[in-house]
Amino acid sequence: MSSDDYKQAIDADPWIEDPSIDANAEASAYREQMRALDEKIGQAMSLSVPELKMPELPDIETDNVVSLDAKRSRAPMWLAMAATVLVAAFIGTRVGGPGYDGGPEALAQEVLAHVNHAPSALRITTVTVGDQKLNRVVPRTIAEMNHQGGLITFAETCPINGKQVPHLVIQGVHGPVTIILMPEEHIDEPIELNDGDTHGVIIPVGDGPGNGSIAIVGPKNEDLKRIEEDVMNSVTWTQT
Amino acid sequence: MQSSNADRIRRQRFDQIVGVFHQDMYRYAAWLCRDRAIAEDVVQEALLRAWKSLDALREDAAAKPWLLTIVRRENARYFERKRLETVDIDNLTASQAALLAEQPDDDLGDLRQAIYALDDDYREPLVLQVLMGFSTNEIAEQMGLKQGAVLTRLHRARAKLKETIDHDVE
Repeated sequence: MSSDDYKQAIDADPWIEDPSIDANAEASAYREQMRALDEKIGQAMSLSVPELKMPELPDIETDNVVSLDAKRSRAPMWLAMAATVLVAAFIGTRVGGPGYDGGPEALAQEVLAHVNHAPSALRITTVTVGDQKLNRVVPRTIAEMNHQGGLITFAETCPINGKQVPHLVIQGVHGPVTIILMPEEHIDEPIELNDGDTHGVIIPVGDGPGNGSIAIVGPKNEDLKRIEEDVMNSVTWTQT
Repeated sequence: MQSSNADRIRRQRFDQIVGVFHQDMYRYAAWLCRDRAIAEDVVQEALLRAWKSLDALREDAAAKPWLLTIVRRENARYFERKRLETVDIDNLTASQAALLAEQPDDDLGDLRQAIYALDDDYREPLVLQVLMGFSTNEIAEQMGLKQGAVLTRLHRARAKLKETIDHDVE
């Protein structure tokens, strides 16, 4: 490590522990010097704090709040935070025949049309849907969710290809991201979705012909790859 | 009855979290905006925002970065609303000057002024590291930066402070 290198490393974090710095007298001395400076910086920054004045806090409708993880800067999401989603056969509310028979393009068009025709779902908000509502939309006959992390801000049962399926919206980094669980739409490979300012994918989930798919649609600049990976890792369809 | 019990538990939880982290919230806000009065406004707004979205905080262990993220956003919102001009260090308001006149200690006063004069991009990661105890990874996450960028900013921030202090000593 050159002199500039260790200075740079120490300047970035004077409390760094590194054998190469320990072994270098000049570097060790510089680290001690910067640690002393850091202690002074800490003292200088420790401003006196005025007494806490709690603002008037409005009543919160606690029934309308889903308990979720703190949102960090990473693209968020109930699926991304070790969510376990066990998707079972969705039989109860089915109104059409099993499987998708209109071809991948037709399915893609139907998904995009549905997303575009439900603008009220795509609000940027921190108000989450309630547990009861979420359980109604995604009953255990469809999925069991350990929904930790992220904000689920919309949940409705919607018709896709003649079947009533769960339509969820979570808040992404760049805007709302739609997730549609389609346990009866069997596809062989991912279908890319592109439509103006939005993009997305319909991904097959699980192995075998009896497995379904999930559509993920978000703003053009939203990184959906990670969400897609989390979905793939955390959803298991069961055979009907 | 059940609802009022839930409200009480929610309020208790909020008070506990805020009680622990209020000082961090204020100091972070103060060093972000460099103005004591604005920092108090920002913290008030942040407390309201935190109260409304408390249920988004699953684990209290994550409360500190969660609250500081809210403070950061409220500070940005405040400046968007007010469209405040850049602070001129030679022409400070009383509230801004109060930040520098924290203690009658010349040594720390000079250092505080040097910190105050740092660019926002350098001052913020330094505050998060030195005052808030964040790792460079956590700072990167908080600020939406890559870790390498954080390391560079921290290096430059300390180099500038050292240069200022050394210059004053000479």
